[in-house]
Amino acid sequence: MRYFVGIDIGSTAIKISVTDENKNLVGHKISASGSMFYKYAQEALAELLKELGIDEREVVYTVATGYGRKLFKEADENISEITANAIGAQQAAKSYGNIKTIINIGGQDSKAISLDAEGNVVNFAMNDRCAAGTGKFLDVVAMNLEIGVDELSAYHFKSVGTPLSISSTCAVFAESEIIGLLGNNHSVEDIVSGVHYSIAKRIVKLVKRVGVKENVYFDGGPALNDGLVNAIENELGHKIFVPEYPQITTSYGAAVLACDAFLSESAS
Amino acid sequence: MHTEHTIETSAERQNRHKAMEAIAVLNSLKEDFKSPIRSMGYFYDLFEKVYCHHQPLHEGKAKIGTMCIQIPSEIIYALDAVPIRLCNGFYTDDEIGGDLLPQKSCPLVKATVGWFASDNFSDKPDITFSPTTCDQKTKAGAIIESFGHTVIDVGFPRTKESEESCHYWRESVKSFAVKLSKFQGKKLTRSNLESAIKKVGYAQSLYHKLTEFRKNKAVPILGVDMFLVTNAFFFDKIDEWISAVEKLVSELEQRANDGVNVAGKASPRIVYTGSPPIFPNYKIPLIIEQSDAIIVADETCSSNRMFNDMVAVDEWNLYDMIDSVSDKYLKACTCPIFTQNDDRIRRIIQLVRSYNGDGVIYQAFAGCQVYEMEQRSVLAAMEREGIPILYIESDYSPSQHGQLTTRVEAFIESLKNRKRMKK
Repeated sequence: MRYFVGIDIGSTAIKISVTDENKNLVGHKISASGSMFYKYAQEALAELLKELGIDEREVVYTVATGYGRKLFKEADENISEITANAIGAQQAAKSYGNIKTIINIGGQDSKAISLDAEGNVVNFAMNDRCAAGTGKFLDVVAMNLEIGVDELSAYHFKSVGTPLSISSTCAVFAESEIIGLLGNNHSVEDIVSGVHYSIAKRIVKLVKRVGVKENVYFDGGPALNDGLVNAIENELGHKIFVPEYPQITTSYGAAVLACDAFLSESAS
Repeated sequence: MHTEHTIETSAERQNRHKAMEAIAVLNSLKEDFKSPIRSMGYFYDLFEKVYCHHQPLHEGKAKIGTMCIQIPSEIIYALDAVPIRLCNGFYTDDEIGGDLLPQKSCPLVKATVGWFASDNFSDKPDITFSPTTCDQKTKAGAIIESFGHTVIDVGFPRTKESEESCHYWRESVKSFAVKLSKFQGKKLTRSNLESAIKKVGYAQSLYHKLTEFRKNKAVPILGVDMFLVTNAFFFDKIDEWISAVEKLVSELEQRANDGVNVAGKASPRIVYTGSPPIFPNYKIPLIIEQSDAIIVADETCSSNRMFNDMVAVDEWNLYDMIDSVSDKYLKACTCPIFTQNDDRIRRIIQLVRSYNGDGVIYQAFAGCQVYEMEQRSVLAAMEREGIPILYIESDYSPSQHGQLTTRVEAFIESLKNRKRMKK
C-alpha cells in the first residue's frame, strides 16, 4: 500500500495526518510542539506509523506545513498553512457542501480564508496582534476560572444571565478583568459565555474583512469548544460546519496535497 | 462533539450586544466605587430591565419619540402621552447606523438611525418629532422616515437673540401642539398643561436638590450616577422617576450630614461639558471617576441642560403657558448649534465657580461638528479665566480606552499638582 503524510507543525501542537491513495484519512496524531519541534515531530510520526502498522517505506510522499514546516527537512515538499487549510477543508467537508469561507483559530493565531468555487484561496486575513482571542487565550481563561478547557462549553450553555464582556482580549489584561469579575461574585457561566462572545465578535470582524460566504467551515483546536462554536454562529447569524477532528484539517490538507503531488509526478 | 444549535435572529443578536454593553457599565457603576448609594438601586434595576431584558415600560400608552431636547415634554405629558427621547448611546446601534450614514457622522445620530433601521425597540415610539437643530439630526429625520416611520419636523431657529426667531419658535411649538393634539385626539387645555408644567417643574426642582449636594466639600454622589439618574428621565415613567429621586434626595441629605464622600481627599473636582454622555456610553465620565477625580457639575444636554431652566409662566392661561414653555427651550438653551453662544461659556464658568471646580473636561464626539468647532472659543475663554481644560474627541468604539485613560489621568494629575501648589 501507498500512504501519504501531512505534518502540521504549529505553535502549540504538532498534527499529523495519514491518508491512503483515495485521500481517505487512515490515522492521525496530535502532540505538543514543546521546545524541540523537529525532534518531537520525528518521534510523533514514527509512533503514528507504528500504531497504524505502516512501514516507513510505504510512505511515498510527505508534505510539511505550519510555521515550523521548514524545520522538517525530510518532507518532499512544504506549503503554507493557508493553502493546506483550504485543501483540507474542501476535502473534509466534501459530503457536506462546497466550502467558501474558513475560520481557523489556532494556538496563537487566528485566520479567515475565503475560497472560490474551485477551492482556491482568493483572500485571507490574520489577526494582527499577539495571541488575543486564540487557543492560548482560552487556556489562560480556563486556568483563571480553575476549570478545564474542555469544560468551557458546558459552562457556556449553562449561562442564564447577560454574557459579561471582557473588554480586553489580551491574555494578560483579560486575566485581571476576570479576576475582578470573580471578585465581585459574578457567575463563572456568564464570564465564560462573555469570553466566548468576545472572541466570536473579534473573529467575525476578521471574517468580514474577507467576506462571509456560505458554507463556513471552522477548524483549529478551539472548534472543539461547542460553546465557542455557538457564539460564532450567533455573531455570524448562520450555521457553521465543524469537522469531526477540527485540529487536523491543515495536516489533512497537506496529506491530500501529498497524494495529488505524487499522482501527478508518477503520471508525468 | 458538535451539536446543532439554534441560532439567534438579528434582533436577538442586537439585543444581546446591547445587554452586554449595558451590563458592563452597570457593573462598573455598582462595583468600581466606594460608598454605594442604596437608592441608586432603582436606577440600576431600571436600566437592566430596559436594556438587558428589553422589557417595555409603557404598554398601552401613546409613545412620542423626540429627536432632541427641544421638544417640550410638558405638552406631551399634558396630552396624556409619554415622551421617549431617542438620543442613543449604544455602540451596537452606532455600528448598524454606520452602514447608512457617512463615515464621519456623529455616533449619537448613527446610533439613533441604527435603532430605527433595525426596528428593534422595547418601547417603540408611535410617532416622532424632530426639531431642526443640528444638520445631522435634521437629515436623520428624513432617513428614519424612509424606513416607514412617521417623523414630523419642528422648525427650530439657529439664532436665539432676535425677536423673529423667538416668534418663529413659538409658532413651531404651537403647531407641534396642534399636530400632537390631533394625533392623540385630545385637547390641550389650561388645566392639563398647567399640571404637566408643574409636574415637570417638580422633577426639575428635585434635580436641583441633587445638584446642591455636589457643591459640598464631601461629594455624596458620583457624576456617573447623576448621569444615570438624568438619563432615566429620557424614557422612565415620570411618576416613578419622581418618587425614586425623592428617595435619593433624602438619602443624600443623610449622607451629606454624615459627611460621606464618594471621592478621595485630593480628588480634583471636574465640570463636564460637550457632547452628551448617554447610557451606556459613559466612557469618558467613567475614566474620569476611575482616575480619582469627581464630576461635580456638567453642561450637557443629557443632564444639566435638560433640567436647569424652569418654565416661567406669567399668566396661567393656555397661550401664555405655551409661549413660556417655548421660551424655556430656546432662550435657555446653550447648544452649540447657535450662531453665537456666549451663554454656554458663561454657564460653564458659572458652574466652575459655584461648584468649586478645579478643571473642565470637554468631550466632543468625533463627527459632532458643532461641538468640535466650538471648542476653540471655549478653550480661549477658559484660558482667560485661568481654568484648566482638557479637550477630548472620541466616539462610541471601545477601542481607544487605553489612550484616553492616559490623557485623562495626566490631566487629573496636573490638577492635583496645581491644588498642592496653591496650598
